[in-house]
Amino acid sequence: MSLSIILAVVLGIGAGYFILPDWVFSYTGTIADIGLCLLLFFVGMDIGKQKGIFKDLKKMGFKILLVPIMIIIGSILGSIVGGFLLKMPTNESGAVGAGLGWYTLSSVMLTSYSTELSAIAFLTNVIREIIALIIVPIIAKHIGYLECIAPCGATAMDTALPVISKSTDSKTTIVSFISGVILSLVVPILVSIMIKI
Amino acid sequence: MSYTVLIYFSLLVVGAIISQKGLISDKFSEKLGSIQNFFLLFLLFTMGVRIGLDKKVLSSFFQIGAKATVLAVFSIIFSIILVRLVRNIVIRDKEESHES
Repeated sequence: MSLSIILAVVLGIGAGYFILPDWVFSYTGTIADIGLCLLLFFVGMDIGKQKGIFKDLKKMGFKILLVPIMIIIGSILGSIVGGFLLKMPTNESGAVGAGLGWYTLSSVMLTSYSTELSAIAFLTNVIREIIALIIVPIIAKHIGYLECIAPCGATAMDTALPVISKSTDSKTTIVSFISGVILSLVVPILVSIMIKI
Repeated sequence: MSYTVLIYFSLLVVGAIISQKGLISDKFSEKLGSIQNFFLLFLLFTMGVRIGLDKKVLSSFFQIGAKATVLAVFSIIFSIILVRLVRNIVIRDKEESHES
């Protein structure tokens, strides 16, 4: 999948640079918006399929919601601090952080605001996922199991889940999955809010 | 909350309800992953086209890469610190919380 993602972006860049005329640019925003709406509808269907998830959430208590909440605050705050050092506007750096590692969605959402910010969001969240996959076993060994979920952000429910599962225990894996679902649900809302601040 | 956010959230919720109520067939349910992949790759291609058409972004790609690394590292560090702060509230049992 990672290879397909990189290939789709590279092919798109190639088509835009070498083949397509400049006037195509004005239509791409609308095309991306329609495609995104359809994708979110199917993502919702996929989440609805996981029937056991609400049972798991109830069993473990609402305290586990603190994990995604802290990841949201930490990610946005961290990117705002990083953005401050890079002299970026707060709304832009905050919106990149609000992608929570979901590089495809955050970058697509920001594409009609600014192509440059969309590229930054894509790369930031790709780099976040790569770093996460590398450091999860190290965090599990030296810091703690629960903290392993933090760097993964929204990918804690899919791409990063096998690494978390292998490095921690079953309870942390369930928390990781639930946290990833919650973070995935709030990414579209957070990115939209942050960019308008 | 803006109009766009409401549309995004509504689509997620409607999709989840339809699926949870069993209104989609098992055959379609099995194809959900492929359908999502298709739209995802299409959107990424569109995003790539926009980047390719924007010469300004392409010329500053390495500068963007450096910015992206700083933002990613800060996001990771701050989220780990904040999760660490609530760990003892979330997991009371010492055995579960795991200390090295």
